[in-house]
Amino acid sequence: MTLLETIVDAPNRAAEYLRGERTGDRFARLREDGLAVHAALASLVLLLLFPVLVAIVVSTKESGIVTGLADLAPGGNAYDNYYRALVELEFYRYMLNSLVMASVIVVGKLAVSLLAVLAVVYYRVPYKDFVFLFILFTLLLPVPVRFVPLYRLVTGLGWNNTVFAITVPYLASATTVFVLRQHFLSIPPSLVENAKLDGVGPLEFLWRVLIPMSKGILVGVSVIIFVYAWNQYLWPLVIVGDDLQVAQVGLGRLRGQAQAGEVAWALTMTGSVLTLLPPLVLLVLFRKPLLETFSIQRK
Amino acid sequence: MARITLENVRKEYGDVVAVRGIDLEVPDGSFVVVVGPSGCGKSTTLRLVAGLESVTDGDVRKDGESLVGVEPKDRDVAMVFQNYALYPHMTAERNMTFGAGSATDFDDAEIERRVADAAELLDIADLLDRKPEALSGGERQRVALGRAIIRDPDVFLMDEPLSNLDAKLRIRMRAELAKLHEELRTTTVYVTHDQTEAMTLGDEVVVMNDGRIQQVDSPQRLYDYPANRFVAEFIGDPAMNALEVAVESGADGARAAHPGFRLPLPDGDGLDAAVDSRAVLGVRPEDLSLAGADTDADAAIEATVTVTEPLGDSLLLECRVGDDRLKTQASPRSDVRSGDTVALTPDPDRLHLFDVEAGTALYHSAEGATAPDDGRTTRSPPATSEE
Repeated sequence: MTLLETIVDAPNRAAEYLRGERTGDRFARLREDGLAVHAALASLVLLLLFPVLVAIVVSTKESGIVTGLADLAPGGNAYDNYYRALVELEFYRYMLNSLVMASVIVVGKLAVSLLAVLAVVYYRVPYKDFVFLFILFTLLLPVPVRFVPLYRLVTGLGWNNTVFAITVPYLASATTVFVLRQHFLSIPPSLVENAKLDGVGPLEFLWRVLIPMSKGILVGVSVIIFVYAWNQYLWPLVIVGDDLQVAQVGLGRLRGQAQAGEVAWALTMTGSVLTLLPPLVLLVLFRKPLLETFSIQRK
Repeated sequence: MARITLENVRKEYGDVVAVRGIDLEVPDGSFVVVVGPSGCGKSTTLRLVAGLESVTDGDVRKDGESLVGVEPKDRDVAMVFQNYALYPHMTAERNMTFGAGSATDFDDAEIERRVADAAELLDIADLLDRKPEALSGGERQRVALGRAIIRDPDVFLMDEPLSNLDAKLRIRMRAELAKLHEELRTTTVYVTHDQTEAMTLGDEVVVMNDGRIQQVDSPQRLYDYPANRFVAEFIGDPAMNALEVAVESGADGARAAHPGFRLPLPDGDGLDAAVDSRAVLGVRPEDLSLAGADTDADAAIEATVTVTEPLGDSLLLECRVGDDRLKTQASPRSDVRSGDTVALTPDPDRLHLFDVEAGTALYHSAEGATAPDDGRTTRSPPATSEE
């Protein structure tokens, strides 16, 4: 029974329980229906959703100062706030920059990872597992750890203040390689062997067989990469100037818009909601392939 | 069309030796079946011919030219896999044409014509628009066969192509494969663990075990004159009985003496050498018959029935003779129960003796056991200079 069905059916069920004669029986039936589980899940969802709901409410108010429950009623300033943030304060620029950065990272990361995985899956590479393990080791060195050397490298290349600076350092990804490899390993080796006997080359095999066969997982992985890239803050803050700055950093600048010495909470929340939207849209659109990606198994 | 020659081929994976130096000749246009239990190296052998594995030592030749170091795609062989290896996102037709473009010089019109021909031959013309998931196992295997056929390769390599099909379909596809080979006459190497498939399909059958070829022969000779105990017990179902006996010479010829019986052995090659030693007597269940009351008791084996297995067309009896077990087939409606004592008479022309240690065949009671009758007896390493 889905949550929705449970809720719709709740009055009937409640009546049934009330008619029940023995308490023990009632508990048994409650358990059977899983109502308790659903109730617990629903309250957890509400708990997780609460800050987002508050942000949405606050983004419709004038000042956005919340001191009591009464302040949680929606205000009438929604249009003004969103217009001010997006157009007057040019938040759309930051979002556009983020979109470019995230898209480039998605495409680049997929391309690099697919080639790496193709090498591991299609070819007989000596010490293949060791190479793969070595790739996994890079998980120990995320961008924040590499900050200083990366900064020197990127400025040395003269890439500071370019799109390269906020995309290229993200292109190599052990996680993507790992997820794709696990998936590709579930593809029967006989497909590769048949292709070899037919003289189908590795790139053609990748393009015409592996990628079409793996559409679902590629979409799922893309969403994960996109959200990850979209949420980057520290590195863009350091390496690019205002022209190329991204939404997460722009959000901080919105917060700096003081109104008579007060933090502009309404504007900040407006920006937060705007920043939340693109990943949310992707998650909603691609939830199926995403869930499949997370439940990968070797068949 | 091509002739495939394997010469002293070895394949090792680290410490594991999969193929221990085999010699094999696959004549042009023939259908050769390699059969053996799992892990015997038969699939590896096939993959060595395909070029999917490289030989550790020895030579694989096609029409006399060495294939060692030649890429799989340049060998002009097509393989049919146990799991069909169809691309799941492509239609049956696309599956058939996809590799053909790379593997052959055919232009699109030629490929189209060939697909139509193959589809007609395999009776899959209606299925060409479907994806593999909408096809049954048998249909998938036909598409996989079609894909191999339209390439018109020198050699077909088939790796247990029928093993994933259910029993009935397997029998039907077996007949169709035989018919197909009759029409195309393409050299085919076929690997299976199923001895029935091997017997019914092969012009010649190669029995492998433990990385070595045990015997290469026509199906009937394999059954009649097994070269060793492994072949004897692997080919035939139920398996041949093996009883350790002492070979004695008596007044009227040699006898096989067992605690439970003494069986006269007809004269034959190798019998004299076996006299006064221990050997393993081999006799197939179907060559033992329930004796009537008037049978010469001397030639019969007294046995106690322990298990009866009615198969419908026959009654399978498991008996005990002394400390040994013996299987035999009786007529389906025989009135035999477990615990009964029966007298079994073996067909005197269908007895075999094997070496106790090495298991090699010492003697077959049938005529012509050791004399090659049609040049198809066990072949030693092929004459490499033959052209």
